[in-house]
Amino acid sequence: MSQPGAAAESVIDIRNLTKVYRDFWGRKKVRAVNALTLDVKKGEVFGLLGPNGSGKTTTLKMLLGLLFPTEGEITILGKSASDVSKNERIGYLPEESYLYRFLNAEETLDFYGRLFNMSAAKRRERTEMLLDLVKISHARKRQLKEYSKGMTRRIGLAQALINDPDLVLLDEPTSGLDPLGNRDMKDLILDLKKQGKTVLMCSHLLGDVQDVCDRIAILYGGELKVLGRVDELLRSQDSTQILSSKLSDGAIKEIEAVLKKHGASMQKVDHPTANLEDLFLKTVQESRERPGRRFTVDDQPKSPPAKV
Amino acid sequence: MNFDLPAVNLPYAITQWAGFFLGFLIVVGIVSLLTSLSVYGTRGVAALAGGVVQGIIDLFSLSPRRLSALASLTFKEAVRRKALLVFVVFAVLFMFAGWFLTGGVETQKDFQAKVYISFALRTMTWLLLPLILLLSCWGIPEDIRQRSLHTVVTKPARRLEVVLGRMIGFGMIGTLILAVMGAVGYIWIIRQVPASEQHQLICRDPLFGKLEFLDREGGKGLGVNVGDRLDFRSFIEGATKARAIWTIENVNESILHSNNCFQLESRFEAFRTHKGDFKRTTYFQYTLANPDNPAINVPLSLIKIDEFRNNANFVTVGPTIQLADAEGKPLSNAAPPAEANKDFFKDLVSKDGKIQVQVACIDPGQYVGMSRVDFFFRKPDKPFAVGYAKSLIGIESLLLLVVFLGVAASTFVKGPVATFLTACIILVGMFGQGFMDELIKAPEIGGFTGGGVFESVYRIVTHMNPTTELPAGPAFFIMQWVDYLLKLYLWSVRYYIPNCEHFMRMPEFVANGFDVLWAESLLPAMLVTLGFFIPCVFIGYFSLQSRELESK
Amino acid sequence: MNSLTSQQRKLVYLGGILLLLIPIIYFGLPSGGKKTADGQTQSSGGRLAQLRQQYDLGESNLGDVDPSSVTMNLVLLGLRGIAVNQLWIQMDAAKDKKDWTSMLEATQSIVKLQPHFEKVWDFNGWNLAWNTSVEWDAVPDRYYWVKEGGKFMLQGVGRNEKSTELRFRAATIYQKKIGIADESIYFRKYFRVDPDTERWKNGPDTDFNTGPEGPYQAEGKDNYLVASDWYQAAVDNEQRWKIPLKQGTLDRTAFHSLPARCLFDYAQGLQKDGQFGEITREAWANALDSWINKFGREELFSVFGANAIPVKFVLEANEEEIAAMASTPEQEAMIRNAIDSFQKIVNYRYWRTRGMAEAEPETAQAHREFFEAGEAYKQQKWRDALPLVESAMKGFESMLARYPDLRIEDNTIEEAMLAVLMWNNIYKLEILGEGESLPQEFPLRTLWQENQGRMPEIEREFRLRYLTQAGQ
Repeated sequence: MSQPGAAAESVIDIRNLTKVYRDFWGRKKVRAVNALTLDVKKGEVFGLLGPNGSGKTTTLKMLLGLLFPTEGEITILGKSASDVSKNERIGYLPEESYLYRFLNAEETLDFYGRLFNMSAAKRRERTEMLLDLVKISHARKRQLKEYSKGMTRRIGLAQALINDPDLVLLDEPTSGLDPLGNRDMKDLILDLKKQGKTVLMCSHLLGDVQDVCDRIAILYGGELKVLGRVDELLRSQDSTQILSSKLSDGAIKEIEAVLKKHGASMQKVDHPTANLEDLFLKTVQESRERPGRRFTVDDQPKSPPAKV
Repeated sequence: MNFDLPAVNLPYAITQWAGFFLGFLIVVGIVSLLTSLSVYGTRGVAALAGGVVQGIIDLFSLSPRRLSALASLTFKEAVRRKALLVFVVFAVLFMFAGWFLTGGVETQKDFQAKVYISFALRTMTWLLLPLILLLSCWGIPEDIRQRSLHTVVTKPARRLEVVLGRMIGFGMIGTLILAVMGAVGYIWIIRQVPASEQHQLICRDPLFGKLEFLDREGGKGLGVNVGDRLDFRSFIEGATKARAIWTIENVNESILHSNNCFQLESRFEAFRTHKGDFKRTTYFQYTLANPDNPAINVPLSLIKIDEFRNNANFVTVGPTIQLADAEGKPLSNAAPPAEANKDFFKDLVSKDGKIQVQVACIDPGQYVGMSRVDFFFRKPDKPFAVGYAKSLIGIESLLLLVVFLGVAASTFVKGPVATFLTACIILVGMFGQGFMDELIKAPEIGGFTGGGVFESVYRIVTHMNPTTELPAGPAFFIMQWVDYLLKLYLWSVRYYIPNCEHFMRMPEFVANGFDVLWAESLLPAMLVTLGFFIPCVFIGYFSLQSRELESK
Repeated sequence: MNSLTSQQRKLVYLGGILLLLIPIIYFGLPSGGKKTADGQTQSSGGRLAQLRQQYDLGESNLGDVDPSSVTMNLVLLGLRGIAVNQLWIQMDAAKDKKDWTSMLEATQSIVKLQPHFEKVWDFNGWNLAWNTSVEWDAVPDRYYWVKEGGKFMLQGVGRNEKSTELRFRAATIYQKKIGIADESIYFRKYFRVDPDTERWKNGPDTDFNTGPEGPYQAEGKDNYLVASDWYQAAVDNEQRWKIPLKQGTLDRTAFHSLPARCLFDYAQGLQKDGQFGEITREAWANALDSWINKFGREELFSVFGANAIPVKFVLEANEEEIAAMASTPEQEAMIRNAIDSFQKIVNYRYWRTRGMAEAEPETAQAHREFFEAGEAYKQQKWRDALPLVESAMKGFESMLARYPDLRIEDNTIEEAMLAVLMWNNIYKLEILGEGESLPQEFPLRTLWQENQGRMPEIEREFRLRYLTQAGQ
């Protein structure tokens, strides 16, 4: 993955953003976002984290122009947040699917394509491509109100990508998905990054964020608490991890002595565990290939699967 | 017909509209300025200016493709929300219309067509109105509530396109349903009216004139009221110099029928002060005169009054002017005098195309009553379908007005409130015009005396006579000024509420066998709708634009 | 139950439903509403429907049921009162605007919503027949609206089969509107031959010229006879169902006198039309018979005195009968009192006398001669008129000698005075020479002298009848 250099341009630039909800009488009710300043560089996957109520969704909605900031400035792709023309290059996947439930998948994508002023031929081409990508070609003629939750997310994702956007905003992209869908979503995000697009995602599912994001920001109470690259933030500076082939007990003892000689201590020695996600995916795949085979207590994995 | 309609004066109407729109813009501007100042402080002015500029930019970046996308989305939504079930109700009503309409006692033959036409047009209007009202008032609020609008506005769809697209979409579905219902209704009318009465299904093309009265001595007068509660018709006395004089303009060859005649049609009433001879109905006489030189005139033979029906008589044009009945047989009640040898167009019609027609009552002691619309030159008839189609256009205009108002209202209030607001505006516009006029009439011409709200309260409490002057003093001065402002408010309400009476009148035209007149009825109706288009789009756009869609 | 499969459970439910249908049908089947010969609704339908018939609780007991009426009432969901209010306002507004179709439509809708509210039928029928008809100028148009009112009233009778009031009102239209209106000459003619000749083929409108038992034969009847039939139907209805006229409409005795009174009106009508001879005499005789033998013999009752003591009496009773009816002298006095006052109320004695007088052939002859004299007079054939009028005067005099009560009766006086005046005029115009004067002795001289105070009216009537064109 390419490292965006310091000279990479900012796709999103947030300066001193504040949002105060007032009640009917004008009194302050809630300060949802307080003096937030951050930027998202081109080509990176940015994660906006925080517990519920920390202001991440509010920030996202202000970016989209659905809410108006009380103070501060937002610049997206060089334009202001309230400028509708910026939406030409943006794709948005909302947390719940906010689509028209009486349309079917084809009509939905066609409708949103028309909103981008795409020609009929282009719309058809994109629709086909996206329906295949999110794997709902088999249900293309069904009205959205008959879709399951996973299918709704997938069609939502498809409409977010209908215009091949440069910036994709995802609100809780993996919440509510089963592990397969989850895996697909993460693969897609990485794929988008490979295509050079910028992705901003809000989430509180930390594991997923860790897997895909380059930089993260952690919000709490509407304020920015942590901002930085994932690998730098998470890297534990205090210890070193070494993965080796199988060692005998004597070898472990020797290594411990070497460590002592260098002034370090051996903190933990055990067999690395496999990733539960990988086990799950493998089981599903095997079940697909060999239906009818039932699990018995005697079955053991022959060897730990390679880490993906 | 029992109503009179003045022709609309187009330039005056447009300037009036412009004035009111300007006033509306000023009020809206002041209110928005105050609001944005209070919310955003000093930045408010800049924000407002920015909003206006944005609006102008958006106006020029409208995309037809986006508009059509939003419009067809609206259309599909209505269809899939089972709006077309209204056809079922329509069908049911028409199938059982026979029960409701005739119910045992037969309608007088002359009025059968009228009953069927009124029923068909009224049913269509009152079925479609609630449907379109509900659709337009709930469209955008539901969109916002379900947040599907969020997905749309995060695409490059302008708010203006959202509002316009919705309006177009609802307009389309209304038009479609109306077109189908209109066709079905037309076929139903043709089939219901018995073969003998099919001749009633025509559209008269009338040429009305201005009416003046002469009293019994021959001087200018107002005609006599014989005791009817409604002052619609005035009466002239028989066997005196009292006359009703019509001056008709634009008289040229277009009034001639195929047999080189033109047709006079009248609908006078008779009033007897004594019973007289029952066998003999009351008679009247036409006299055609040149308005520039009334001495050049041709009295025509006597005609008897056939009340409450349209009496048509033909007058032959040419060397001998003579009166004939509807079948062409000359009426021979009185032999036409020698002056009948005049050429109609050369001698009687003035240079600027005017003609005078005088009506006199013959029988002493009896009266003949008329209003301006009771006499006209009947130009060659138009087919029934023409008038019927025009009244459908009228219904269409009403539906579009409901769409405009409904969509605009729904952008700043929720569904039920928007429904209520729009329904009230429309209903007051239909039924409350007379009442509102009464409220704002100046005392000099018959309005209320005794001042406005506070002054009246004062007068009631102190038992003061309405005509007594108020005592001088600052309190009374303030009171009168407040009342004046309130009256100004009432006045503006009366003029801002659309005049929907034009829409109500159109079915009456067709039912009575008249073509829907362009300048008197169809044009004003369409102008009302058109006049509300721009303000409604304006309100809709700016409401939606300045609204935070996320906060509910 | 739990051990049954889903399929089996469904079958059990189905069986249960079918089983329940039996008692439902038995109890709840609605009545077919067919009527038997005597107008009673046939017993049909389930148990509840039959009970409804038996205890007179169903709507079909009230009259025929209009399905659209039921539907409309159902659809309004209880807002009938408001809807009806609105319709009344609309109807009135349409009347002011002279928009007759809308007015009729609103009226029809009102009666659909309130079919059993008698006042609605009563008022609207009257409104159509009296008020609306007068707004039109041409007499055939006026007649059309009188018919509308009448047919409307008949529809009301059909909807309310036990209504005395509506039958009475229907009869009033036939008697009063057609008979006494200014246009009565025309109305009575149209009643036999409808002006819409295309539809009724020179016959009467049988929807209007129809009786309580159903339509008459093709020629219909005279309006007074139809009125009489309807009054009789009202009286019968009152006696059968014990439903009197609304309070304040008309005194009961007067009400009962109306069928016979209409027969008198019929006879008078024939005379006015210029029909003399046996038909007229027979009409008078029929009327007399009905008056004294049917109405006169009817047992009427009233209450008297501060203590409201009920009294039964018969108007035609003679002395022995009165004595037989009373048990005490006080009661006898009360009965006499009752008979006397009610005879005065209905003008019993006058009509009896008049009937007797007119039923005699001589009187009929006198009338006819007078009429013919008048016809000759109109054509100025003095010599032909003179013997006729003299004979008529003699006939009148002998009638008055036999029935002196009639000397103070207006119609008789008028006719007699007109005869004398005609006789005078003929003498002055034709017979008398210069300086001659009328003969001193002539029949009806005393009457003539007694009633000189009436001369202006008599002369005006004379001019109206004989000197101007007919009906101008």
